[in-house]
This record gives sequence, structure tokens and C-alpha cells, in this order.
Amino acid sequence: MENGFDPDLIYAIFKRVWSRKTREREANEDVEMVGGSEVGIGTSKRNRPTTANSNALKLSCELIKLFVAEAVNRAAIIAEAEGINTIEATHLERVLPQLLLDF
Amino acid sequence: MDRSGSDLEADEDEGMQLLRDRFRLSLISIAETEAKKYDMEVSAPVMGCVSDLAFKLTEQLAKDLELFAHHGNRKSVNMDDVILSAHRNEHVATLLRSMALELKAKEPQIEKKRKKTPKQMERTGADDVLELS
Repeated sequence: MENGFDPDLIYAIFKRVWSRKTREREANEDVEMVGGSEVGIGTSKRNRPTTANSNALKLSCELIKLFVAEAVNRAAIIAEAEGINTIEATHLERVLPQLLLDF
Repeated sequence: MDRSGSDLEADEDEGMQLLRDRFRLSLISIAETEAKKYDMEVSAPVMGCVSDLAFKLTEQLAKDLELFAHHGNRKSVNMDDVILSAHRNEHVATLLRSMALELKAKEPQIEKKRKKTPKQMERTGADDVLELS
């Protein structure tokens, strides 16, 4: 619990993904606008950027942290069973399919 | 394949690389703490792989959360959206739900003043739970 992701960092990544998505959407709309009628007033309202509240960000940090913790824990169990003290790529490979299905 | 190529291009400029590196740093400390519980070490390729996976998960999470919020006619992502994004795994969803309740319980107590250190908040929150029970 003492370490984890910084909510601000996660928010920065989210913002970047969202702005990229918005740009893509705007590009699509521009194409539509050329072909169709002009509905400029509604779109600007719709394209206001997405935000997130602080608790949601803390929760997202926890979710990503859980993912990392699970990845290491499951791989560690496999490595332990093999009697090796280092988690190698093969150990991660073994747990990867189920891990990805769980998140 | 084309899409991933253009995504990568967009990522490289505008400091996405910086975010990726900061993300990796916090991830390494988490992973090492977890590995220490088993007296294990995490090899470098595994660390890189987990870091990439977690970063992709974060990006996917961002897309999911935006979609969920918009579906609810909101512009702001709230805790329910995050819980919804974890619906695939019952255990994860339960964990997040209990954490959401904890966070919610903390909110009126601090009277909408946000303290900057989350650690302190956790401690005061834990004390309060003890008093209540």
C-alpha cells in the first residue's frame, strides 16, 4: 500500500488518450461536414474534453496496481515451483493468458 | 497494423515517452515490492513486458472510461465507471467496490478539503473505521 501510481501521472496519460480520440473524432466529423449539412453549434459542445474526478483516478491507479501485482505474484508462484529465484520471461508466459482474461 | 504505426508516431512526440518512463518507474517499485514477498527478483525483460502491458491496459482503460462516461451522458469519469471497467473479474470488481466505499466515506469527513498526501488520508481514514466499529 505504501507505493503506487501517482494519480496525476495516470490522469496525464488519460488526457493524452482522450485528446487523441477527440482529434480522430473531429477528423471524421470534418469529412461528414464537407458532404452533409453544417451543424456547427452542437459539435463544439459535444467535443468538450472528458474529465475525471479524483476518486475515480485513485481507483484507476489501484486497478493498474492490482494488474502489476497479479502479474508478478502469479509469475512468482510459477518460478517458485521451478525452484528459481528470478522471474524469467517463460514464467510470465505461463500466466499471461489467464492474466489478460482477468483484466 | 497501420493504426498501431500511426498511434506510435503520435505517441513519440509530445512527451508521451516521458509519461511512459515515469509510468515505468512507479511500476518497477511496485513490482519489486511484490517480488520481495516471494524473495524473488524480476528479470529485466519481464519488467519491460509487464510495463508495456500495464501501459496498454491504462490506455485501454482510458478509452473504456470515456465511453462509459459518455454513455451515461457525462463529461466526467466517476468511480462507478472504473468499477464497471473491472466487471470481467468478480474479485477485482469487489476489491474496487470496497475501495470506492472507503474513498466515499472519507469525503464528507475532510469537508471537501483535499490533502495533498494520500498516505495521511489513508491513515486518518483507517483510524475512523476503528472508531466506528
